Amino acid sequence: MKAVKGKIFFGGVHLKDEKALSCDSPTEVLPEPSTVYISVQQSLGKPAVPCVEKGDKVKEGQLIAEADGAISSNVFASVAGTVKEIKRMTAPTGAEETFIVLESDKSGEKAYLEPLDDPSAEDILGRIKAAGIVGMGGAGFPAAVKDAPKTPVDTFILNGAECEPYLTCDHRLMIERTEGIVEGARLIAKALDVTQIVIGIEKNKPDCIEAFEKYDDIKVVALAKRYPMGSEKHLIYSCTGRKVGLGKLPADVGVIVHNVGTAYAVYEAVKLGKPLYERALTVSGRAVKEPKNLWVKVGTSLKEIVDFCGGESSSPKKVVKGGPMTGIALADYDSYVTKTTGGILLMSGKEADSMEPTPCLNCGKCADVCPMHLMPMQTAFYSSAGDYENAAKLGNTLSCIECGACEYICPARRPLIQAIRKTKAAMRERAEK
Amino acid sequence: MDNTIVISTPPHVKSARTTKKIMLDVIIALAPATIAGLVFFGWQALVLIITSILGAVAAEFVYYFIYNGGFTKKCANAKDVCRKWLKQFDFTSVVTGLILALIIPSTVQWYEVLIGAIFAIVIVKMLFGGTGRNLVNPAAAGRVMMFLSFSLTMTSYVAANFEPISLDSQLFTGATNLSGWLLNTDNPSGHIEWIDLFLGTGLAGCIGETCKLALIIGYIYLVVRKVIKWWQPLLYVVLSAFLSVCMAATVEGAGFDISLFVDYALSGGLMFGAIFMATDYVTSPKGIYGQIVYYVLLAVLTSLLRFYTKIEVVSFVIMIGNLLVPLIDTYIVRKPFGYRRAKKAKEGK
Repeated sequence: MKAVKGKIFFGGVHLKDEKALSCDSPTEVLPEPSTVYISVQQSLGKPAVPCVEKGDKVKEGQLIAEADGAISSNVFASVAGTVKEIKRMTAPTGAEETFIVLESDKSGEKAYLEPLDDPSAEDILGRIKAAGIVGMGGAGFPAAVKDAPKTPVDTFILNGAECEPYLTCDHRLMIERTEGIVEGARLIAKALDVTQIVIGIEKNKPDCIEAFEKYDDIKVVALAKRYPMGSEKHLIYSCTGRKVGLGKLPADVGVIVHNVGTAYAVYEAVKLGKPLYERALTVSGRAVKEPKNLWVKVGTSLKEIVDFCGGESSSPKKVVKGGPMTGIALADYDSYVTKTTGGILLMSGKEADSMEPTPCLNCGKCADVCPMHLMPMQTAFYSSAGDYENAAKLGNTLSCIECGACEYICPARRPLIQAIRKTKAAMRERAEK
Repeated sequence: MDNTIVISTPPHVKSARTTKKIMLDVIIALAPATIAGLVFFGWQALVLIITSILGAVAAEFVYYFIYNGGFTKKCANAKDVCRKWLKQFDFTSVVTGLILALIIPSTVQWYEVLIGAIFAIVIVKMLFGGTGRNLVNPAAAGRVMMFLSFSLTMTSYVAANFEPISLDSQLFTGATNLSGWLLNTDNPSGHIEWIDLFLGTGLAGCIGETCKLALIIGYIYLVVRKVIKWWQPLLYVVLSAFLSVCMAATVEGAGFDISLFVDYALSGGLMFGAIFMATDYVTSPKGIYGQIVYYVLLAVLTSLLRFYTKIEVVSFVIMIGNLLVPLIDTYIVRKPFGYRRAKKAKEGK
């Protein structure tokens, strides 16, 4: 269907998107790594429980760790070979996680699930759970939980906003695998029993908008280029005009949102029987020689990926896993791809600003750009004095989506997100008591 | 170049604007008004502007130097402290000094403005914690202090360089010409030509406040550079002038004369105050609703005080408004995105 304009929400920032670095390079497949380190914590919620032992032979796509409880996801072997080790290591978030180390035997033997030709709604839901599909946008919420809403829904939104600067893997996916995404979206729509499928794409990707206009059953919404357009609540507002209440789920307004990557994974899981153990990601930044879009196996080390892209062109100031606005800064390349890694950025000193914070001017720019209409400066002010209760109350901190727009705009370079996280943690602790 | 990789919380990209750059923008926006002041009031204005800026910067430096232990251990750390001061210097004191010089008449003595600048920086700004921590606008407070201490020189406005406009053989100046009209409502010739009022030619007043054209250029620059929001000074000036017109109509014998609107809007320090002083980040509310309340409050206070006191009131009003800001910020909290729906759901139960 012909693209329609999306609504514009109040707040948000215009970012220099830097997507030109990598948006024209087609997705390449990274050669199979000899060793992969697969964390069992691949989604929000509880970590999965390993179901293989040291020395076991595994095939590509074989279940190696089983979901534990409702909010958890299955983890699969991304290479065929042997289990070399199961050990505890520190993840970039600072938490200790169990990693399953697999050594590839280069045989490429696959062990897929049974492809489903004409699946019923239950079949699809069952397969989404079995294939360990999580939200590929970055949050990593298990898709099976999302797709079993408690309230009736009528709209399914595909998130193709990709509002983070640098990242282009969803962009490439939307052009190169349009058919698969549409197929996946139809399957999810069938499972949810919704009446309309909407895809929201930012205007800076006209080729993607064009690609999806061909399909008559999909409503294309051309979104304004504004960060954070890809945030669930703002995407829903832009596409449908509905506002998700505080502390409510999208399903409460009759909407379910999935990333385009998730829809593609669903297509693969249902039609090909391939569980989720590979994903597209972007390697970019001005400190990497050849910015690229890659198709990477879960558990691949960043070192291998960066080497494949020609290595560093200059020494990076920051190495970021994820997008520049919400990603995690790493101390080295000793980290591994998970189901939710959308990008690896090597940022030069020019790009990654690391200036010292200066005193807050109370300019209120953070409040002006806040897409949730909060007052970040109040949070920062009160939390620095240890008064978390007032910080949370006056700044409405608990509704914060941590998009980073406030800290981006701050002329005094205040560490606002840090203050917000601190306040949230303190309030959570207080609530538990 | 150091090869260390930095770790921090996201976001990892930041906008290019810093406090320093914003303050430089303000200085650039003040340049037309400064030049107009120099043209109108000559070298006296130049002496005052330089004294005020130097006084403000020096006061900040000395305070910083003492506070950070520049004198301890026989000045052993003096060099370090100086370097640190240079590093954190963000032009806020230059802005304060410049604004202070622009809102006083050219007849003020140089030592008077020096005292004003030192008072503004040391007492009003630094003692409260420096940049971003002061409760009231330092320049406004400095002016109020000077007005109360040196009331003779602070209220004798002289028009230099241009032939002064005389009304009934009496010089009406600044906000005081307002009182002139109000008292002489039976004398319609008491009007200053609007074009003179707009360009400031021959108008007696404060150094930077007379040329409205220069102020409007500064206003447009600030809006284009997104330092201030376009509606903020507009709301203040328009509402205040309109209320003044309404109040003037309540005087016996005077009718509702909308043509007075221009006189009220262009007279005195209202425009300068609205563009450069009321919009000061540090001392104005943070949320958009709080800002609306703040500017309406300023407008109401300005027209009320103008009507009853007949003196130059804008800096007083801004000071009063500044003191109410913490209250506004505490009680007017923005409702988050999606708030209304949550409330409805509660009512539904």
